Amino acid sequence: MRRLTALAPAGLLTVLLLFAWAGPLIRRTDPDALDLRHGTGAASAAHPLGTDESGRDVLARLMVGGRVSLAVGTLATAVALVLGTLVGGVAGWRAGWVDGVLMRATDAAMAVPVLFVALAVLSLFGSRVPLLIGIIGVTSWMGPARLVRAEVAALRQAEFVMAAQALGRAGPGIFLRHLLPQLVPLLSVAASVGVSYAILTESALSFLGLGVQPPRASWGNMLTGAQASLYTAPRLAIWPGVMILLTTLACNTLGQALRRRHAP
Amino acid sequence: MRPAYGAAAVALLTLAGCAGTDAAPADTLRLALINDPILNPVLAPDVGSVLVNKVIFPGLVRPDEQLRPEPDLATSWTISPDGKTYTFSLRRGVKWHDGVPFSSRDVQFTFERILDPKSGSLLWSDFATIERVEAPDSFTVRFVLSAPFASFLALLGYNAGIIPEHAFAGKPILDNTEFNRGKPIGTGPFRVVAAVPGSSLTLEADPDYYGPKPRLARIVFKLVPDANVQVAALRAGELDLVTLEPASLPGVEGTPGLTIRRATVPQHYYLALNQRLPLFKSPQVRRALDLAVNREAIIEGVLKGAADLPVGTIPVALGDWFADSLPRAATDTAEAGRLLAQAGWRRSADGTMRNSKGDPFRFTIRVDKGNPSREQTALALQQDFKAIGLEVSIETVEFAALVRDDLQPGRYDAILIWWTTPPDPDQYSYYASGQINNNVAYANATADSLLLAGRRETDPAHRRAIYHAFQALEREDPPVLVLYYPREIQAMTRRLTGLPRLGIRDALRHSETFSLGPR
Amino acid sequence: MSGAGFLARRLLQGLIVLWIVTTATFVLIHLAPGGPSILADPKLSPVERRAIEERLGLDRPLPAQYLAWHRNLLRGDLGQSFLYQTPAGLTVVERVPNTLLLAGLALAVSLALAVPLGVRAGRRPGGPADRVLDLASLAALSLPTFWFGIVLIILFAALWHLLPAGGMTTPGLEDSLGDRLRHLVLPVAVLALPITAELLRYVRSGVAAAAHAPHVPAARAKGLTEGQVSRRHLLRNALLPLVTVVGLQAPILVGGAAITETVFSWPGMGRLGVEAALGRDYPVVMAITVTVAAAIILVNVMLDLLYRWIDPRVRIE
Repeated sequence: MRRLTALAPAGLLTVLLLFAWAGPLIRRTDPDALDLRHGTGAASAAHPLGTDESGRDVLARLMVGGRVSLAVGTLATAVALVLGTLVGGVAGWRAGWVDGVLMRATDAAMAVPVLFVALAVLSLFGSRVPLLIGIIGVTSWMGPARLVRAEVAALRQAEFVMAAQALGRAGPGIFLRHLLPQLVPLLSVAASVGVSYAILTESALSFLGLGVQPPRASWGNMLTGAQASLYTAPRLAIWPGVMILLTTLACNTLGQALRRRHAP
Repeated sequence: MRPAYGAAAVALLTLAGCAGTDAAPADTLRLALINDPILNPVLAPDVGSVLVNKVIFPGLVRPDEQLRPEPDLATSWTISPDGKTYTFSLRRGVKWHDGVPFSSRDVQFTFERILDPKSGSLLWSDFATIERVEAPDSFTVRFVLSAPFASFLALLGYNAGIIPEHAFAGKPILDNTEFNRGKPIGTGPFRVVAAVPGSSLTLEADPDYYGPKPRLARIVFKLVPDANVQVAALRAGELDLVTLEPASLPGVEGTPGLTIRRATVPQHYYLALNQRLPLFKSPQVRRALDLAVNREAIIEGVLKGAADLPVGTIPVALGDWFADSLPRAATDTAEAGRLLAQAGWRRSADGTMRNSKGDPFRFTIRVDKGNPSREQTALALQQDFKAIGLEVSIETVEFAALVRDDLQPGRYDAILIWWTTPPDPDQYSYYASGQINNNVAYANATADSLLLAGRRETDPAHRRAIYHAFQALEREDPPVLVLYYPREIQAMTRRLTGLPRLGIRDALRHSETFSLGPR
Repeated sequence: MSGAGFLARRLLQGLIVLWIVTTATFVLIHLAPGGPSILADPKLSPVERRAIEERLGLDRPLPAQYLAWHRNLLRGDLGQSFLYQTPAGLTVVERVPNTLLLAGLALAVSLALAVPLGVRAGRRPGGPADRVLDLASLAALSLPTFWFGIVLIILFAALWHLLPAGGMTTPGLEDSLGDRLRHLVLPVAVLALPITAELLRYVRSGVAAAAHAPHVPAARAKGLTEGQVSRRHLLRNALLPLVTVVGLQAPILVGGAAITETVFSWPGMGRLGVEAALGRDYPVVMAITVTVAAAIILVNVMLDLLYRWIDPRVRIE
């Protein structure tokens, strides 16, 4: 039963990844080919999900857009979690002045209005995908860091950690062997929230014109582009929305399944 | 459900229930702005501020429905035979919104500020030809120009609203925040009664207005930054008139109670081809590229029909000045191929256009980011050029960076951009060689002499012949690839009447004729 | 360490953080290409351009501009907005109450919903309430704010004519409480939804962990009511992460309501920030950075005080 609950979301994620990466290899419709005279077309044999305002194939754009959005979502979250666990772990474990310095650095990072950083950096170097990943990751590690730090600070006093210390184990060893597993429930919640946060941040940046740049598709900029057609062709906004929803749903259920497996 | 939630839900429903009745009286016109305006025409010719300032601050003349200058604060004028001295008789009995009488001193003061770039004036370049401004008596103003300047009248009616000398009393106009942000004093049909930063600006009809009594009681400018929300607010009956992006048109068409107008405006959208580069030096190459573009597809597909096919750089909105007798731009890829061949480009086996050295015809189109219509137009151009064997890539750049770092220093291949011009055909500064706005480095001796003659000629018939000749020349040696003349899509409530058939900016110079029918 | 000493030290650290943040923002915003949008008019002549640059001090080297900014800051002068010709500090301060109203209400609504719902979900992990709330909160977290906002506007304003499409009041009706409340419904809903969902998940997770602990079934066996069990044993366990998460939401609320404010034409600081950043209105961007950063730092200090109060273990430093 337990394995089954983890299998379903993992399966869904695999399907999404296949859709995005293998899809365009099988269905070779050019996602950027314009057909201005047949914009906002309904579903047909040639275009199973219809066409967008510029007559581009919606299905093909959902696939290649998925590559971008999934890459942004997972990689940015990975960046944030690694940074956050490192900073929060060290701060919580070492306490004292190290904790003070790291937490003030975390405060500083949190006090920077993310929007301006994104704006400045993205317009300085262009809205390229690796940069978007970096920006979203680097501006969202503080949450995990504070959570990890609070948990580690509390766990540091726990009996099994005291015992390990009494046995003469080194800090990093104890951290990896005893504390990290304890953090998994927390981190899996943070990861699940993080992926959807990253995908949504990209779409919000798209709304401000700073996300992945058209003509390159992302689910976020497809959603932004569909705003004007909401009265006449709401499906253009629904499809990328559904993809985002499925992705976050899959990530979150997977996170929960993992958390349950690690529960004591 | 807990009782507290139930109560909250009931409260929400009640709030929603007492809706529907928008409290604005039937004679209040509600328009949208995207951010807070600066209420001073000398400081702020930006799109948002201009809309408001045209209502508050009349100029000496204003454009009529054919964009010809008609009397406003000046009742008549004479032009000296050499075209260098303009003498205006001012309207008598005009009062500023605070009751102080208007006089020639105010006009003189306004232009002294305009001609001093340190004052913060952004109208300097429009009026740089003014040598001096004289006020021989309270109701006469004389402008002496350094050279004949035929578009002078049009420019006076464009952005040059008159500001009151007494409100500034020797203080720099930039520092009068109270005036510039909340309590401006003009002579227009409506005066500002309330300014809420970030929210709205309320104007009320001025009982002392010198023209016909305004038919609206109030004009409210609401700040609505998002274009899609503007459309929603129009449909919700919270705004009475909105200008639309073409993409929003299908969402408004057929809505009961609304009507849509497509007004021609003095703008031309074009692809700037940098003629500092050898690639675009030859007129044949520019002609070929011009013939490769399928403008009908762009106008129908991207602009939803809200644009006109072009002839040259003088748009159809300029009425007589536009050379309607000349053929409009058309697509002819075969002819494009022939012209490229004349310029030394041949199609190679792989379908790409190459010169004798085997280099491909390759360039980058830059476009400002964030505007779907222009991004799609750039994509369409890319596809059209690809069809004749050119390799085109597209880069989106933020508008400010595009202008400052690429367009003005001349560091680009091609840029998709536009000019919004005053209601006059004078394009000397844009397309005469070496002039400040000639960002494409176009150089054609015949064009130079035509544009200079047109700027100096005060006889309308002669001037028309000059500009028609210029447009004919542009077909042979295009300074830029003119893509289309956009139409401003105005979606408004059916109750609104009395709006002249002009773009909203110019129409607002006639706000006293606007009227709203009963709800 | 004494509470007062702790507070003093944290505030001093806060000042240093503030200085780092403003410096970083100053450098970044000035480095970004394009420059202030008032210089981006293609028609601007070199004469006008020079006059503007001189007037705004943009012709001076960056370090000189940076020093001048500090000098003026000490005099309480944050400069003149490029876009609006108003004192930058005043322009920002004018907007603060509007943002606080929106953000405060959204946070209050979120807490009022998330805590009871989270406890209910976490009390019986895997139960029907848990499953329904789990799905609902996931869906809420998956909605892009701007899109959800526009959909609500289209439904409630454009199609059903039930609520206003945006703004804070109907011009002319500034004194009507009902009118103000009607303008608040949609933006508060949009802003509160993801916060509620996130808080709910953390509360649920904390409560669920405690529900597994041996003393909870024992408490139930002792005959305590579910309400008593929740209050005495479950909620307390969820409080620490909850405080952390509320702290994490604070910057999002104070500075990052920008999208909601833009969509709903709300005259708040976030929207002003977007306009200023896109128009490169340096003085306003800096004024907002100072305001937002100071607010976030203060919130963090208060949270640390709260931690010390909730969980005595943290106090051992």
